[in-house]
Amino acid sequence: MKAEFTFSSLALRNLKRKPLRSVILIIAIALLVSALVFSLSFVRRVSSGIRLASERLGADILVVPAGSRGFAEDVLLENKAKSFYMDKGIIEKLKAIPGIDSLTYQTYLTTMQGLCCDVPETVVVAFNQDTDFIIKPWLTEKFGRKLQKGEALVGSESAFNIRVGLVEVDSVLFGNIFRMVGILDKTGTGLDNALFIDDGNLEDIMRKGKTDLKPGQISIVFAKVKKGLDPYKIAGDIEDSFVEVDTMARKDIGKSIITTLRDINYIFIFTMLLICFLSGFLTWAIFSAIANERAREVGIMRAVGAKESHIVFVFFLEVIILGSIGSIIGIFGGTALSIVLAKTFSIMKNLPLHLGVAERFIIGGAGFLVGNGICIAGALSPILKIKKMEPLMAIKKE
Amino acid sequence: MVTQIEVSGLTKEFAVADQTITAVDRVSFAIDKGEFVSVVGHSGSGKTTLLSIIGGIMKPTSGQVLFEGQDICAFDDDRLSEYRNEKIGFMFQFASLLPMLTAEENVMLPGLFRKSKSAGDQTKVRELLHVVGIGDKCDVYPSQLSGGQQRRVAIARALMYDPRVILADEPTGDLDEETENDIMQLFKGLNRERQITFIFITHNLELAGMAQRTLRMTRGNLREA
Repeated sequence: MKAEFTFSSLALRNLKRKPLRSVILIIAIALLVSALVFSLSFVRRVSSGIRLASERLGADILVVPAGSRGFAEDVLLENKAKSFYMDKGIIEKLKAIPGIDSLTYQTYLTTMQGLCCDVPETVVVAFNQDTDFIIKPWLTEKFGRKLQKGEALVGSESAFNIRVGLVEVDSVLFGNIFRMVGILDKTGTGLDNALFIDDGNLEDIMRKGKTDLKPGQISIVFAKVKKGLDPYKIAGDIEDSFVEVDTMARKDIGKSIITTLRDINYIFIFTMLLICFLSGFLTWAIFSAIANERAREVGIMRAVGAKESHIVFVFFLEVIILGSIGSIIGIFGGTALSIVLAKTFSIMKNLPLHLGVAERFIIGGAGFLVGNGICIAGALSPILKIKKMEPLMAIKKE
Repeated sequence: MVTQIEVSGLTKEFAVADQTITAVDRVSFAIDKGEFVSVVGHSGSGKTTLLSIIGGIMKPTSGQVLFEGQDICAFDDDRLSEYRNEKIGFMFQFASLLPMLTAEENVMLPGLFRKSKSAGDQTKVRELLHVVGIGDKCDVYPSQLSGGQQRRVAIARALMYDPRVILADEPTGDLDEETENDIMQLFKGLNRERQITFIFITHNLELAGMAQRTLRMTRGNLREA
C-alpha cells in the first residue's frame, strides 16, 4: 500500500533533500534546548529544595550563634557536618520576646569516624523531646513512644549515605553505644542525613570527652510566632535585643545560596539569550536559503492552486519537524546533563530534593516550546516573504 | 457559442530601473467555451504576461478579465487560488515538476490544495499517465525522465482535475517533432471530446495553424492573425 500524499509527506521529502542542512539546524536547536533544560533543572532544583526544606522545618524563625547563619544553612540544607554552639540561656531570654509562641532547640555534634564513632562523618542531632515540634509529629504517629536514653533514630537518607540504616543495630557515637531504633520519614532537609538522639544523652557524651560541646550549650533555636504576626519583625526584635545571636526568618533560609543562584541565573539567562539569538539567526539563514532555492517550486505550487496559507503551512511543518526533533533531543540531553552534573556541583549534590517527573515534564515542555518558538521566529520572515510573491515572479526567480 | 473569457482594456506595466515597460497594452478580446486558440508573437511581445494574467498568476496594472462572467482581477488570494486550482490547467515553457515528487505525485499535486479529495484519484492519475504515453513511469522521479516525458507529466497534471481552460506556454518548445505532433493531437482530442478551451503560445506557425483561431501579440498589442 502506497503512503498517502499529504502536506506532511511533502514537508518530510523537502527536508530529506538537504539532510546536512537539516541536521545542522536540529543540532543547533538540540543544543539550545539542552542548555535551557539543564539551566531550568538546576535553578528549579536548588530553589525548590531550599524552599521545601525551610517549609518542612516548621519554624518561623531560626536563632543561631552570631556569625553562624552559613553553618546552620550548611547543616539544614546541604547536609554538611558543622558544629556551632551558643549558651542555652538564650531560650529563656527569647521567651521574653513578645510574639513568640513556642520554642525548641537542637544541638549538633559532628561525628569523626575512627576517633569517636563507628559511623562516617555526619551530624548527630540532640533534640528536646518535651518542646520539639520538628521530629515529634513523626515520633507520635509512627514510633508511638518517646526515644529512650541510648536510642537513636536514623534520617531517611542515612541508610544510603552512611550505611547505618538497619534498625536494631548498635553503633558507637562519641564513645557511647546507641541502638538504632527507627528510620525517620523523608523531610527534604539536610537533616535527612543525620542521626537523632534525645538531648538527655549529652551529659554521657560530654563525660567521655570525645566532643567539643560544653555543658549548657546548644546549636540552634527554632521558634514559632503567634498567628498573624510578622516573623521578620520579631526576628529583627531578637537581633536588636541580643547581640550574641543571628536570626533567619523562614523565607531567609538559604538566602545566601539563592543570592549566589541569582548570579548564576543571570549567567544562564545571558547565555540562553545568546544561544537563542544564534539559533534564531541560523534558522533565519537556513530558511532564507531554502526559500530562495524553492522560489520556483513555490511559484509552481501557487500556479496549480496552492493558497498563501498552504505555502506557509508546508514551510511551518518543516520548521516544526526540525524544531521538534531538535527539542526532543535537547530535552533528553539537558535532563541527562542535569542528572550527571548534579553529582559534580556540590550545591546540587548535597541538596535533598530531586526533581519529580511532573516537574521534569514541565521543564521539558518549556524547552519544547522555546525550541519550536525560536525555529518559528527565525523562519517567519523568509516564509512570509516567499508566500507574498506573485506566483509568476516566484517561478521566474532563479 | 458561450463566451468563456472576456478581456477588456488589459494593461500590465513593469517598473525596470527608472523606466516603465508596458508588456500588455490595453488588450481586449473574447474567447468562447471550447475554442482552440493559439497566440503567436516575438519574444518579449507580452504573450506570457497575457497568459499569466488570464491564468491568475499575475495581477494586471489595469483592465478586466471576466471568466464566465466573474472578474478574476477582483478576486482575493484565496479565491484566485481556487480559480487556478479548479478552472485552469497550466503548462509552462520550462520543466515545472517538483523534483522530490514522483510523476504520479506531481500529477496529484493540485489535489493537495483542494478541499475535497476523491478516492479514485490514484486510478485517474495512472490512466492519465497512460493517456500521455508514460503509464510505466508513475513512480519515477523527474530527474529520471527525459524532457519530453516531463512535459507529458505536466500535461497530465494540467488535465487531472478536469479544468475548463488549459493555458499552455510553448508546451512543445523543446520537444522533437514526433512528440510535438503527439502532444498537439492529444490537445486536439481533449478539446474536441471534453470541450476544454485551449489557449497556447507558440513560435511555430505550423502549430499555430492547427488552432481554430490565432491571435498575434506585437509589443503588447493584440490582434487577430
